[in-house]
Amino acid sequence: MNSIYGVQHAGNDFIAPWIEFEYGAKAWWTTEFYLDWQGTLNDSALFTGFRWENRFRPLMHEHWINPVLYVEYENTTAADKTMIEVVGFDSQADHAVPNSIAQKEHLHELETKLILSSDYKGWNISENFIAEKNLGHDPWEFGYAVGASRPLRLAVTPESCNFCRENFLLGAEVYGGLGTSWNFTQSGTSHYAAPVVAWQLPSGVTFRASPGFGLNSNSHPFILRWSVSYEIDRFAHRVRSLFR
Amino acid sequence: MIRRCCSGLLLLALTFVAVGSASERETDDRGVLLAIAQAPLKTRSWHNPYEGQPDAVLAGKKLFLQHCAECHGPQARGIGRAVNLHLSAVQNATPGELEWFLRNGNLRRGMPSWSGLPEQRRWQLVAYLKSFRR
Repeated sequence: MNSIYGVQHAGNDFIAPWIEFEYGAKAWWTTEFYLDWQGTLNDSALFTGFRWENRFRPLMHEHWINPVLYVEYENTTAADKTMIEVVGFDSQADHAVPNSIAQKEHLHELETKLILSSDYKGWNISENFIAEKNLGHDPWEFGYAVGASRPLRLAVTPESCNFCRENFLLGAEVYGGLGTSWNFTQSGTSHYAAPVVAWQLPSGVTFRASPGFGLNSNSHPFILRWSVSYEIDRFAHRVRSLFR
Repeated sequence: MIRRCCSGLLLLALTFVAVGSASERETDDRGVLLAIAQAPLKTRSWHNPYEGQPDAVLAGKKLFLQHCAECHGPQARGIGRAVNLHLSAVQNATPGELEWFLRNGNLRRGMPSWSGLPEQRRWQLVAYLKSFRR
């Protein structure tokens, strides 16, 4: 379960939660389903759509840089404020439109990503190149995200513990838009820098928080992303056993 | 006619299953699972920095229960396609080959890559796996 809180320049702040169901169908293929909502202060709260995402690992062995191909279908409205990624000329002004108007615009979008990931001396370094296309009209929109993170302690202690350093992960990321296929540029769009902290409990629960700071006037001055996730062991096996 | 056709298909399916499971369990001349033995030769000389450290075995067990027991079972005896890690076909592998295998996985056969785990944690897991031999 994820959420974002956004501070709006000329308008109302908002919270946009989304629920994410992730299933590891194969060791090289992960599929995820998202349901998005948002609530805007002094406006309204509404369901804004769904997304279906698939990640594929094309290479079967580890390399210095490991690519992952990402394909997502989004069926949302313009009122969606989850900001899972920033693309094109996304701007904080887009989120100032009242919900009653924004929810009338339906978006059917295809999003693709090339995720390049490397692990070096405990650091995970990841670069994402994002290309998104509205299936109805509009050119391709591009975006990027670059991040690095590392556990506070690389080896684990023999004792079971919740608050020890090995369970905490610190990192930072930078993400933003890169214009469109008609105008590939870094200007006129929004960019963010965000530290990341995660707390991974031995029980399989992970808490994650990332305060983001807008780097230009097109960006929200401040956003806060947070999430709670839980991994269910042998999910498919459990589901199958219900029908035996 | 239909019964004969079904019997033929069943026989064919059983042959595929038998061939499939045999190839999964095939070993090299050292008795190491081929999936692990495909590790580069240089990995055979890699030394586990935690070798002989009882704490590393306990830490490895903790990691095993967090990440591996889901498929291999809490006693590492294997569940379904997930291999019994007490088998000599696993235990005959060198620590370096096991660390390489953990890092790369065997994606086609359902074993994920654990490259996201820091190297130190993979070596702790190897220390735990190697403790089965005693």
